[in-house]
This record gives sequence, structure tokens and C-alpha cells, in this order.
Amino acid sequence: MKILIAVSSKEYSGPTLQVGMKIARAFNAITTIVDVGEKVSEFNSKVVGLTQERMESWEFDRPGVDVLEWAFKYLADNSFIEPQIIEAGFPKNTLVETGASRAEVYLKGTLCKNVNLILRNGDIISELRDEVQTGKYDVTIIGGSQKRRMAHDLIQFIDSSIFVVNRYDPDQTYRLLLAVDDSSMTRKAVKFGAQVAHAFDIGVDILTVSKRKHFGEEYQKAAERAGTFMRRAGIHYQNIFKEGDPAQVIKEEAGHNHIIVMGASTKSPIAKFFIGSKPLKVMEDCHCPILIVK
Amino acid sequence: MLGFSNKSLSNFLFWATQKKWFLVTMAIGAILLLLPTPAGLTLEGYRIIIIVITALIMIVTEPIPLPAIALYILVMEVVLGIGGPEEISHSFMNDAVFFIMGSLMLAVAIIQQGWDKRIALGIIRLTGNKTRNIVFGFTAISAILSSFIGEHTVVALMLPIAMTLIKYTSDDKEKVCGLSAVLLFAIAYGALIGSIGTPSGGGRNVIMITYFRDYNISISYLDWMVRMYPLVLIQIPIVSWILMKSFIPEYKQLDTGVRKLIVQVANSPELTGRSTVAGFIFLLVFLGWVFLSETLGLGIIALAGVLLYLIAGLVKWEDISRNTHWGVIILFGATISLGSNIKSTGAALWLADHMVNTFGSVMDVFPFMKDTIIVLITTTLANVLSSSATVAVLGPITMNMGGDALHLGLVTAIASSFGYFTAVAAPACTIIYSSGLVRAKDFLKAGWKVGIMSIVLLILYSNTYWLFFK
Repeated sequence: MKILIAVSSKEYSGPTLQVGMKIARAFNAITTIVDVGEKVSEFNSKVVGLTQERMESWEFDRPGVDVLEWAFKYLADNSFIEPQIIEAGFPKNTLVETGASRAEVYLKGTLCKNVNLILRNGDIISELRDEVQTGKYDVTIIGGSQKRRMAHDLIQFIDSSIFVVNRYDPDQTYRLLLAVDDSSMTRKAVKFGAQVAHAFDIGVDILTVSKRKHFGEEYQKAAERAGTFMRRAGIHYQNIFKEGDPAQVIKEEAGHNHIIVMGASTKSPIAKFFIGSKPLKVMEDCHCPILIVK
Repeated sequence: MLGFSNKSLSNFLFWATQKKWFLVTMAIGAILLLLPTPAGLTLEGYRIIIIVITALIMIVTEPIPLPAIALYILVMEVVLGIGGPEEISHSFMNDAVFFIMGSLMLAVAIIQQGWDKRIALGIIRLTGNKTRNIVFGFTAISAILSSFIGEHTVVALMLPIAMTLIKYTSDDKEKVCGLSAVLLFAIAYGALIGSIGTPSGGGRNVIMITYFRDYNISISYLDWMVRMYPLVLIQIPIVSWILMKSFIPEYKQLDTGVRKLIVQVANSPELTGRSTVAGFIFLLVFLGWVFLSETLGLGIIALAGVLLYLIAGLVKWEDISRNTHWGVIILFGATISLGSNIKSTGAALWLADHMVNTFGSVMDVFPFMKDTIIVLITTTLANVLSSSATVAVLGPITMNMGGDALHLGLVTAIASSFGYFTAVAAPACTIIYSSGLVRAKDFLKAGWKVGIMSIVLLILYSNTYWLFFK
């Protein structure tokens, strides 16, 4: 299992890191933390690079390294990782360029086997897409964004499960809202949901929404299977059946105090692009963290 | 769907999302090609205008790599019959392209010599510890240096000095917001106002000089300096004053910062005899520009400098090759080709006539109106495009607007340096923005004041002081 956590700034990335590392622990996953810096116009990319090289002779790090350094320290301070101090390690923060806009970062004198640090520059969606494709990550974890387009592009173009850590409050008591239906993605969503519930040590609301009054046999079976899975995993759960527009009902049920877990849409990419999908509608408007399982 | 896998459909949609501006541009180009040629314009003239419009949209939005835009221009000029392959390939290269190439390569050579450490000591010796004086010193040194060696080189040298001063004043970025902004903008805006001072201050100046040659106008290095340098000197104190008013520095004195900076520089291993040789070579290049540029060309002299640096072993070819953006050089070649073809197809004259007709009534009523219009259009374009590309494309048009071509050309070249308004307006702005110490909105906060000052000053200056040269 490999998890990618995208951080942006010291002010807003704390919750993302907390959630990310809890999940990573639950899955016993190798974690990579990536900071994607702003795209520099191609006209100036070389002169900016040249300036940054010069800055290094004055003992300045590249912008972004400070964020990764902070993230690493945050994880160590909160006991998510146990870095080793190595005197024979890198004498200063070191960047190893592995592509035109990608560098691996090694911090001064420390080492942690389970956490890698990556610095990228450019458009956030294309950089994350590229990182996920080359690193073959299973889950990408990212903070909430105000831009609706961002939710769309994340779901549409990132080839891993997506966890958007939207308005996560560490002091709030959460439950997990697992949305199930008859689609093929539900099975995987149930497995992920159980792991996340374990990680946060919380109960699960299994929500089945039907547009009609009558719940189809497949829907009922899906809800039953999810329940059985939770019971076997030793997780406290309850089944909820609701009628209405699925995206709307999921958002209402979730409120502020749930972590939503649902499967990605199985529609064709063209339909998803132009018409949208249920997970997208939920992600755009929900007020809580959400994991879309692919 | 249609036998395509979901994976390939998803890849296609991603491509289309990333390239949406390319697709929009091609659609605009196709529609324009289908429209009838406007009256008074040749078919080639109309087609070159379409290539210009589509290329400019792509330069701003960057949906494809910059060198690809250059190739697009090259291919379209031949395919749409603007000229034959020989003719078009010739129009891609002239002394200005050599100059831009030389200037980018010289930047690599110079930045590696550790001059920043010497400059740091020099500035502090001149200005002392008072913040007000240090800001003036940063503006003045950036302006004076950039008038000879190009703004990006100067900013790359000056930025670490400013950042070290800031770091040693306080480790907490929040406590030095105002100080960071004022020092970094002093460097960027200083470099911009200085870049008009001599022809070698920027590729745009050299492009304009090559255009002047087509009009049989010759302006030597010293002629240019005599006309322009007073404007640089006038702007230095005004810019540093505006910056001190726009961003209030938290400290009036920088005692600790200055002291620690001196200690760090004194302990630096880079202060060696090597940089003296490097300085001597640059002096030779400068003398070459002053005394030989009319016969040898500014570009050839810049490249001769690079040759000397390589022979002296002061820079490695690998470093030059890695840090020079060859794609940008090809793109400047392409914009110069566009400029020369706008002129040769008659499109420049047609566009200039249209501008004169549109603004004719106001031009007659208000004095300096033609200059004002040129300055406003050039400044706007230079803030969204590269300044050299702006001059390459606009130069042939503005010089055709009737009146003294030298005056109009120089006004265009100067106005193209007013890239104050956004973080991407000029290389100097992008470099200081990339430090993470200034915010995007700071550019507008100070930029509009400096912008208006420069515009008003240029119009007054060019219509008074330049009268002595008539």
C-alpha cells in the first residue's frame, strides 16, 4: 500500500497530515509527502532556477523545502514517525532532481524509512497525476479547496482513491458514513471504510439511498454485505435506508460530523466529464472529509 | 464507447483539458482564416496578423511549450505563404537574437563568479545601517547594474543579499513582511527602471536598434545612454520613495542584519582572484559595446564575452547549456520573424493607419496623445507577454504611426520595461515572487504607483529633453 499526501502550506496542512498519517498507519503504508509549488512561466523557469542555485550558496533552501521540513517535524512531534538522527547523513537539506519539475528531498542529518519527501512545481492536477502514475499510489490525500473545478479534476484525472480532508476538526467526534449501492466499487469502498473506521476508532453508518420507495434486491444485499463485513471486523455499525436524491441525502446525512466513504462512479469518463457523477456532487458541497474509493 | 477503453478516453480528456487554450486558439485562427480579407490589406498581410494573434494568445496561456509556439510560427509562415522556406528561415535570425542568446549565456557566467558577495559589502559600505538608505542603495545599485548586464542577472545576484539581510534581522517572516517587500521590490523595480539605460540593458532595446537599421536610423551605444540615462537617474529616488511609502518596514535600522551579513560574506570562500578576471572580461565586453557595437553588433560582442569566459575556464559549457533556455531563444527568433513579416507584408502600415484613424481626433486635440497611446498599449502588452516579444511585434507598427520613427521606437522600447503590475509581468518580478517573501497582491499595491509615475515621466521627458537632439 502506498499513500501520497499533498501539502501546501504550514497554516492549512496540519489536519491533512494528521488524517493522512492515521490512514497510513492503519494500512501500514509507505507514505510520500509532496509539495506542489506554483507554476513558473516557461519564459522565466531557467532564470528562476539559476537564482535558486545562487541562493543555495547563501545557505537558503528552495521554496517548498521549508514546508516539507515543517511537515516532517510535525509528524515527528506528533509521534506519527520516529526519525533517526544520523550524523553521517546529508550535511544540509539536499534535493535530488528526478525530472524537469520533480525533486526528492533529503533533510539534513535525519532519516525515516517510511516517509519520502517530494518537491514539485507546476499545475497541481497534472503534477499529482504524474506523481500518482509514476509512484503507483493507492490513495491520494489532499486538503479541501474552495475551487469546485479542483474537485472535478481530482476525481476525473487522478488514478488513485482520493481523500479530501475537508474541514477536519481533531476535537470533533466523527462517525464514518459509508454510502453503498449495487455498483462494483461498493465492495472496495466497504473494505476501505472498515480500515478507516479502525484507524479513527469510530462507528460506521451504512447508508443506502434509493431514488424510489422500493429498495431493489441488489441494494439490500449490498447493505447486508457491508454490515456483515463490519461485524466481522469488530466495528460498531448501523444500517440506514433513505429515499431521495442520493447525492443530496448523503450530504445531509453526513453534516459536519461524518467522514464520508464512497465508491467512485463507474460511468464512462466522457459522461463523468460532461454530466458529472454522484461522488463529484457530494464532494463539491459536503462540509466534512470525504474518501472516494477507486 | 466507440471501442476506446476508459483509460484512453480519460487520457484524451486530460489532454483536452490541459490543451484547452490551444484548441480555442486554433478555432479562433480557423474562423479568422475563413473571414474575408479586410479592405486595404493584402492576403499575406491578413494571414500574418492571424498568426500574430494566435501566437500571442498561446504565449500568454502557454498550452504548449514555448519552443513549440516558435515552431508553430515557423511552420505557419511557410504553409500560409508569407514567404518561402529560405526567406522565413533568414527572418528568424539577426543580431538581436544573438544578443538575447549571449545575454542569457553571460548571465550564467556572471552569476557563478560570486560577485554578489562583493556587491553585498559594497552596498553596505555605501549605505550604512539605516533602512531608508539601504532601500535607496538597493534600488540604485540594481538600476545601475541592470542598465549594463540585464535585469535577470542583477536580480539573481541581489536577491540573496536582500534575503540574508532579512533572515538576520528576524527569523519570523511575519515580523519582517514590510521590510521583505520593500527590499525585494527595490531590487525588481530598480532592475526594471535601469534596464532602459543602455542598449545592453535588455533584449528589447537591441531588437529596437535592429528595427531602426531598417529605417536607416543609427543610434550608437553612447547616443542611447545620453538620451536615456537621465531618466534612469530621475526614477531611482522616486521609486525608492514610493516603495518606502507603500510598504512600511518594521525596522528603521538594520544593525544586527548588517553586522551578521558582513561576517557571513567575510567568511565566504568565494572572494578570490577569479572574480577579478571575470570582472575584467566583462569590462572588455562593455567597452566593446560602447565603441565597436555599430560595426560588430551588440550580439556578436556579447557572444565574444561568452567565448572569453569559456576560454578562461571561468564557466563550464555544461553549466551554460543547462541554465540557458534555448527554447526561449528560438521563440524570440520567431517573434522577430513575425515583426519583420508584419512590416514586409504591409500589415504594420495597415494596423498603424487604423490606430491613427481610430485615435486621430484625440491625437489632434491633446498634445503627446500619440505617445500616450503607444505607451499604454505597450505597457499593457508587456505586462502579459514578454517585453522582448512585445517590442518585436509592436515595434514595426508603432514606428509606422507617422512622425519621428526614432522617437516612437524609443518610446515603445522604454514603455516595454514597465512590467510592474503582476508577479509574471517581467523576469525580475517572477524571481522575487519565487522567493515566497512577497505576495501576488503586493505587485499591484506598489506597481500602479510606480507604473503611473513611469508613464507620466516618460511622456514628459521624451517631449522635452529629447527635443535637444532634434
